[in-house]
Amino acid sequence: MSRILVVEDEQHQRELYAMELEDEGYEVEQASNGKEAVEKVKNNKFDLVILDIRMPEMDGIEALGKILSRDKKIPIIIYTAYSNYKSNFMTWTADAYVTKSSNLDELKNKIKEILNTRSS
Amino acid sequence: MKNKRFSIQFLFYIPDLIFIIIIFFAYLKRYITADVAMLIIYDFMFYFLIKVFLHFWGYKVLILNQINFMQKYIDNFKKGKFSLKESELKNQGYLSEIITELSDMGRHFENMVTTQRDEIDKFKEFYNNIVLSVSSYFLVINQKNEIIFANKSFITNFNLTNDDIIGNSISDLFYFSGGKIAEAIENVKKKGDSVVLRQSRLLSKNRIAIIADVKVSRITIQGENQVVLVMDDITSKCRKDYQISLISQISESIQKDDEIERVLFSILTAVTSGSGLGFNRAMLFLIDSSSSTLDGKMAVGPDSIEEAVQIWGAVQGEKIDIVKRMEDYTSNDRKKGFFLEQVLEKHYAYDSEALFVKVLKEQKAYHVKDSWNDTRVDPETREFVGVGEFIAVPLIAGNRAIGVIVADNKYNHAPIWQDNIELLSIFAVQAALSIESCNSLTSVRSQMEKIKLRQDAIVESEKMAAVGRIAAHIAHEIRNPLVTVGGYAQRIIQTINKGNKNPESIKKAAAVILKESERLEKILSNVMDFTRPSPYIREFNNLNEIINDTITLLQNVFQERKIDINLILQENLPLVKSDFNQLKQVMLNLVQNAMDATPRDGSISIFTELVIDKVIIRVKDTGSGISEEHLKNLFEPFFTTKVTGVGLGLAVVRKIINDHNGEISVENCAEGGAEFKIVLPVPL
Repeated sequence: MSRILVVEDEQHQRELYAMELEDEGYEVEQASNGKEAVEKVKNNKFDLVILDIRMPEMDGIEALGKILSRDKKIPIIIYTAYSNYKSNFMTWTADAYVTKSSNLDELKNKIKEILNTRSS
Repeated sequence: MKNKRFSIQFLFYIPDLIFIIIIFFAYLKRYITADVAMLIIYDFMFYFLIKVFLHFWGYKVLILNQINFMQKYIDNFKKGKFSLKESELKNQGYLSEIITELSDMGRHFENMVTTQRDEIDKFKEFYNNIVLSVSSYFLVINQKNEIIFANKSFITNFNLTNDDIIGNSISDLFYFSGGKIAEAIENVKKKGDSVVLRQSRLLSKNRIAIIADVKVSRITIQGENQVVLVMDDITSKCRKDYQISLISQISESIQKDDEIERVLFSILTAVTSGSGLGFNRAMLFLIDSSSSTLDGKMAVGPDSIEEAVQIWGAVQGEKIDIVKRMEDYTSNDRKKGFFLEQVLEKHYAYDSEALFVKVLKEQKAYHVKDSWNDTRVDPETREFVGVGEFIAVPLIAGNRAIGVIVADNKYNHAPIWQDNIELLSIFAVQAALSIESCNSLTSVRSQMEKIKLRQDAIVESEKMAAVGRIAAHIAHEIRNPLVTVGGYAQRIIQTINKGNKNPESIKKAAAVILKESERLEKILSNVMDFTRPSPYIREFNNLNEIINDTITLLQNVFQERKIDINLILQENLPLVKSDFNQLKQVMLNLVQNAMDATPRDGSISIFTELVIDKVIIRVKDTGSGISEEHLKNLFEPFFTTKVTGVGLGLAVVRKIINDHNGEISVENCAEGGAEFKIVLPVPL
């Protein structure tokens, strides 16, 4: 069973993702900001990280750098309401950049796609 | 000396004595007999007695003569004739000495008297000269109100002779002295206290006008009460004072005025008012470019000498305030006198030979001294003006002549002096500019009105633009709750589709949707505040609340730009009567402005505090500050240092703050960055 870390400051959204992804059969861990995420990655092994960008304390971009510097191979999906971060080079290091939507299918497909490529 | 003289007299008798002694010795020596000696002595005695008799008789005659002489001399002495000729003193014996002494004494007295008389004469002359020559006018009036003395200045100035004055009364000499001066004279006669009538206007019967401080006082000479009038002629002083203030006064009042008629009226009032230029009448013509005529537009001046006297009498003693007179002036006031009507009906064709048209074309002042014989004056003008001497001055604005001012002294026939002409010329320039500006004013006003409307529209659109600038952030902000709402809704549907009837999970999802919807609404209303139309709503608002609202709106931007925001807000701040949305706009603009100036990782601090009866808001950033040259026009519309934006943000801020009777200022902080300070009054 793949382990996924959901990093999102909005509690309702975070809980929604967790519920949905658990329904999909993943094991889900939650973090409410970049700092927490970096801590969790340090202590646990995750197969994938879903990362919001605009968060208090430590934003997604910074967290992205820190996580990658620890574990280059860990797949990361940036999941944000803002499309303008696409122009930020840092986001290019992520495996995918998905814009938030109430329809979570795109996210779920992307997760599947990445995990499949990794396992094969 | 007396004795000596006496002995000399007796020397006469020495030869006689010697003769007798010789005879006596001849007898003793017996040269002659006793008989012969006796005979000779008897004969001699006879001769001797005759000689003595003759001597004394002559002496008596001499004394009588001397007494006569003495009497004559005393008579002369009484008449004041002291001196005597040397020859007269001859044969006067020792009397001459006495007389010489007397005459010396007499001369001495005479000297004394003469010196004193000289002295008295000198004093008399001195005082007479003072009285006669002082520039003040002296009049002395007796109990019967007859003038008994007038000094030289008075006589010369009013062009009179002593015969015209002495024995006449004041009202025989002046037109309206029956008023205050006569009253003053009666008062002084009764009470004896001196009275000073300041700045009295006097017009003599031969039409010489002066302004004078008149002092009326009582003197008593040999038991009779007399009244002295001392008039200090302050005409030229008044005129100078007046002339100095005239132009500034006029231009000041004209600047305030926008009605062309009033401007023209005030110009001519200045030209005619007593102590100013002091012309009796003045008229003003303006060029009408559409009809190519020079039209009479305004006239000021009395219609007759009676009216003139009445007007001058009415302003007696009171200072004419042009500005006030203009304020008093309304169209109703301006009764259309004959003179004004005449001028208004006057139209000169621009191609005519009329004098005023010449003045206009040549842009040159014409001083006509004798219009009846002056060939420059056309007959029409001659008849129209109806006076010998007048002056016509062009009104030149820029380098274009726009009209003509004509002035004369129809009623007092005072000559027009060079300085009057110069002053009128200077004044004409001022007047011309005033007329021009007044004419321009109307069109400028309407333009201004249009511009103001446009500016208001621009300011309004700038408010929208400001909203536009934050719209991107808002779009993102609503995305999050929207996504959440959609996600949970989807989840509910899925839950139901799967037949999983877990009411708890549906209820929870619905609650989330509700909460997020509320959040959305709040965001929307926050944005809507800025787009509402502008009529002010004055309520009591808590400034801290306004600031918190604004910051919430911009929270995302702060995060994005990594700018720290510090709120140091004083608690229990009194409410300020204000428009909530307008002030929110102010805060938004100021904070956005601060953000634009603040680099990454900088900070913005907002302080509120109550100082006495004012609430102060300070917005401070850690940016680059504002350069000196920008400080002064920072709040001007369309001033911007940014690549984007139209430069209205701070202008809008200032307008709103001004509308709130507040003040806004800005300064650079010593530690870097700028600080905007808003001061708003707290209603008591």
